[in-house]
Amino acid sequence: MSRPMIELRGVSKTVQSGDRPLTILHPIDLEVPAGQLLSVVGPSGSGKSTLLGLAAGLDTPSTGEIAIDGTTITSLDEDRLARFRGARIGFVFQFFHLLPSLSALENVMVPLEIAGVREPVEKGRLLLEEVGLTQRGHHYPSQLSGGEQQRVAIARALANDPPILLADEPTGNLDSTNGRHVIDLLVRVNRTRGTTILLVTHDRELAAHADVVLAMRDGRTTRVDTETTAAAAVAGA
Amino acid sequence: MNFIFRMAARELRASWRRLLFFFLCVAIGVGGIVALRSLVQNVRTALAGEARSMTGADVYVRSEQPWEEAVRARIEARADAIPGTARTETVDTVTLARLPAGTSERTKVVEVRGVEDPFPFYGRFSLGSGNPYSPDLLRDGGVVVGRELLPQLDVDVGDAILIGDRTFTIRDTIIAEPGRQLGGFSFGPRVLIHLDALEASGLLGFASRAERQILIRVPEPAIAPLVETLRADLEEAFVRIGSYRRTENRIERNFTRAENYLSLIGFVVVILGGIGVWSVTRVFVQQRLRSAAILKCLGASHGQVLAVYVVQVALLGLGGALLGVGLAQAALWSVPESLTAQAAVITGSEALSTGLTPSAVAQGIGVGIIVSLLFALVPLLDTRHAKPLLLLRPGTTPRVAVSDPVRLGAIATAGIGLVLVAAWQAASLEVGAWVACGFLAVTAALHGIGRGLIRAVRPLEASRWFPLRHAARSLRRPGNQTRVVLLAVGLGSFFIIGINAVQTNLLTAFSLELRDDMPDMFLIDVQEDQAAGVSQLLEAAPLGPDGTDPAPALLPVLRARVTAVTGPETRIEGRDAIRRAGLGREYTVTYRAEMAENERVVAGSFWDAATPADPDGRLEVSVEDSVIERGVRLGDTIHFDLLGRPIEARVTSVREVDWDDSRAGGFIFVFRPGAFANAPHAYVAFLRGPAEAEARGALQRELASLYPNVSVIDGLEILRTFRRVLDYVTLAITVVGGIALFAGVLILIGSVAMTRFQRLYDAAVFRTLGANTRALTTMYVLEYGVLGLLAGLVGSAGAIGLTWILTRQVLDVVWTPTPVINVIGLLLTAAAVLVVGVSASTGVLRQKPLLTLRAE
Repeated sequence: MSRPMIELRGVSKTVQSGDRPLTILHPIDLEVPAGQLLSVVGPSGSGKSTLLGLAAGLDTPSTGEIAIDGTTITSLDEDRLARFRGARIGFVFQFFHLLPSLSALENVMVPLEIAGVREPVEKGRLLLEEVGLTQRGHHYPSQLSGGEQQRVAIARALANDPPILLADEPTGNLDSTNGRHVIDLLVRVNRTRGTTILLVTHDRELAAHADVVLAMRDGRTTRVDTETTAAAAVAGA
Repeated sequence: MNFIFRMAARELRASWRRLLFFFLCVAIGVGGIVALRSLVQNVRTALAGEARSMTGADVYVRSEQPWEEAVRARIEARADAIPGTARTETVDTVTLARLPAGTSERTKVVEVRGVEDPFPFYGRFSLGSGNPYSPDLLRDGGVVVGRELLPQLDVDVGDAILIGDRTFTIRDTIIAEPGRQLGGFSFGPRVLIHLDALEASGLLGFASRAERQILIRVPEPAIAPLVETLRADLEEAFVRIGSYRRTENRIERNFTRAENYLSLIGFVVVILGGIGVWSVTRVFVQQRLRSAAILKCLGASHGQVLAVYVVQVALLGLGGALLGVGLAQAALWSVPESLTAQAAVITGSEALSTGLTPSAVAQGIGVGIIVSLLFALVPLLDTRHAKPLLLLRPGTTPRVAVSDPVRLGAIATAGIGLVLVAAWQAASLEVGAWVACGFLAVTAALHGIGRGLIRAVRPLEASRWFPLRHAARSLRRPGNQTRVVLLAVGLGSFFIIGINAVQTNLLTAFSLELRDDMPDMFLIDVQEDQAAGVSQLLEAAPLGPDGTDPAPALLPVLRARVTAVTGPETRIEGRDAIRRAGLGREYTVTYRAEMAENERVVAGSFWDAATPADPDGRLEVSVEDSVIERGVRLGDTIHFDLLGRPIEARVTSVREVDWDDSRAGGFIFVFRPGAFANAPHAYVAFLRGPAEAEARGALQRELASLYPNVSVIDGLEILRTFRRVLDYVTLAITVVGGIALFAGVLILIGSVAMTRFQRLYDAAVFRTLGANTRALTTMYVLEYGVLGLLAGLVGSAGAIGLTWILTRQVLDVVWTPTPVINVIGLLLTAAAVLVVGVSASTGVLRQKPLLTLRAE
């Protein structure tokens, strides 16, 4: 087996709640091989978003080590981490988080510009084309529907061709039709680009497309279903 | 780098409207700096190289007494020893110009200058006719007069006027003249007359007030040596010697000072704008935290994100500064031409430019950008706390440690930066530090008052009335703008209320000094042979408010200088020592047997008939207590030069004079009568002139026609001049205060606009929960009403403090409370805040609640 794309070793997170420590993620070991689509399911407060935040280096673990594509990110400082994220990790959020004062095309161009890519406009257009929004490039987020905004967000996440895509409830704020579009898009990205995807979701249909489903409750992993059983597991959850 | 600028430009494209008043805050201050600096620089440019023409010569020697032959001979010898020199003399005096009998009764106080042929050596006259000036104009009874005199006397070129007891013909009018000091106090229009004619007019009688000048033109390298030699030669003579360079330096100094002080006023407004910048940036950054987090999520570093916002602020600052430059140009262009023409005449220059000067523009723009950045720095640092994790957990607010070292460092940097900018603008580190600290102290005081007041209205939060309860609560809601608005609006109203109160206080103080029983007319230079006639005239005139005042006694006066003071422990000898002791001026002295009503003895004893005169025949003198402060002791002997006669007198008493009560005048030196009986002396009189303008004018005219050398000084006219000057000063400061208040209102509008999103949401929730438009409107009215009252209270309280300090500590006049001004100021401030706040909020009420809630 090739080197894991995402590797968590003994990672836990404890926060101070009042004067008592509260463990929101118990020590976990996890390996996500390159090209896998892993979905994390579980009720609110089960620690799945915490897991995502830690994997992205948005949060620091209380214990343990995290390696992304062979780089131990737990030892990087904030600015190195930011650069690392810009180059290796794409993000998709439940609330899209597009920059409201920028047009769709400009939103897609931002990571390219931060990375110092030449011809960001060309590349941005291609990305918009990939998500089927060629005609909407000059529109502002407020002029786009939720589904369209999420597709722009996905195009933006893919801008620097990251090996990893992290998605937090990407369909959580969309109706079923738009949700399906987004699901198709993510699956296509996973299949055609070979992007490793770690997604947190409530959406059974989305989870059903995963190679592996990780179920969580109260900060612990309760079940891991592999490819063959994943669909059934989600269906029964 | 590329990313930073692109990002900044894109964000600005969307947010500049919301930040519009950010521009205005910067623009108003920058406009002030640029306009004021340009104006002063233009005047300075107009005057550049005019110092010679203002002096009219290279070297001057001035005296207030007729030239002693020895002195004049020495000056002439020294000057003539240098090849290529030329000399001329002038005499200046003040008198009343009249019209020939039977034409008109009008009179006007004028400044007469007698000149002779080579005058002026430098500079040139600008005459009303457009012709060049020629000395021939003054031959055979000709005069040239300041053009403002014509309408005042209702005469024209070619008409006759009386100066002294002689008739002259007006040959032309003066628009600008050389040899007139800039900004000096003027008694009236200029009348240029031939020196010989002036000598013959009877105006230059014994002891009359006239300034005589010998003007010398010498080659440039000889100027300094000549001044040195003359000073050494004439050390003991009472003359002043100087060169045009002295004038030049003084002008330069005065202008630099004026420019820097005026710029400081602009700077204070910029700082006010800076407070606005700070408040906008704070709210702006809060709204941008999510964007900052997104950028970080996409790979941007802290530095890059901060840079994006710093560049935005710098661009906004630049935009505001440019707008300010535009405002300044508009302001200068809108100065009426009549005013610039008048300024040109006052400064003696041809024309005054109303353009902006490059250095003023550069400084204004520099200050605008620097102040924007300094004030935005601290709030901008909050973008550091924009963690990308925020995007996963919306609603979590980053915690900011109060003692965050970077933040404290930024605050210190901003503070030091402001002091440095103030120092730069004032061209003095000390003044800069004072202004910055003073501003800080006032700000801190107003801030403290504001906090106290907010606490005071806290019980309202427990009110049972829904609108009032919520209005009081919104003053303390998270991210509220209460303190910023209190500070900005409070500061503006503080300026305006304070200045108006100070003006009222000053006018009260001066009208107190001009009480009914105070003299309002002064006769000076009455000659011995005129005394009886003047007394008769005064006896016949209806003096006093009801015309029944007895004629005042004529007080004998002599003019004297102190040449030395000697005593057991005192030795002040030589002109330099006298000058250093502060006794160098010419004194008007008198003699009398009794004390005046406004005097009391504080040391020694005043002579009376019982105390025998000094057996050695030495004179006795009583001194005012200020002389004691200059190092003279009771019992010392003071040596006087009394119109050339040396006199010694022993100090036998020290008096305190109540100068506010000037019915009997006030004299520093009073001699025991006796020795002066035969000395030539003049008289003065202090009286209450006729109350009716007609009788008053008639008395002045009669005095002028019978005794042309007698100067009549009208206290009422001086008071009028004083009022006018005070009005100008008040107007100027009120304008500054108005700008400050305007900036405050802008900040108010801005802060209401910036919190609009919060209010939209609140209003929508309240609506959904059943509050109607009326309840919400009432809530806003109450909220801004309370805020306005608080701001007014802050300003009023501050103004009372300012007035008290200024009147008691600085101006040394009685402090009178001004409740009417304070209350009116308070109410107007409250009304302004109420109107602005409510009208800016009503837009919120028109939004449909569902739309707002969905958008969230």
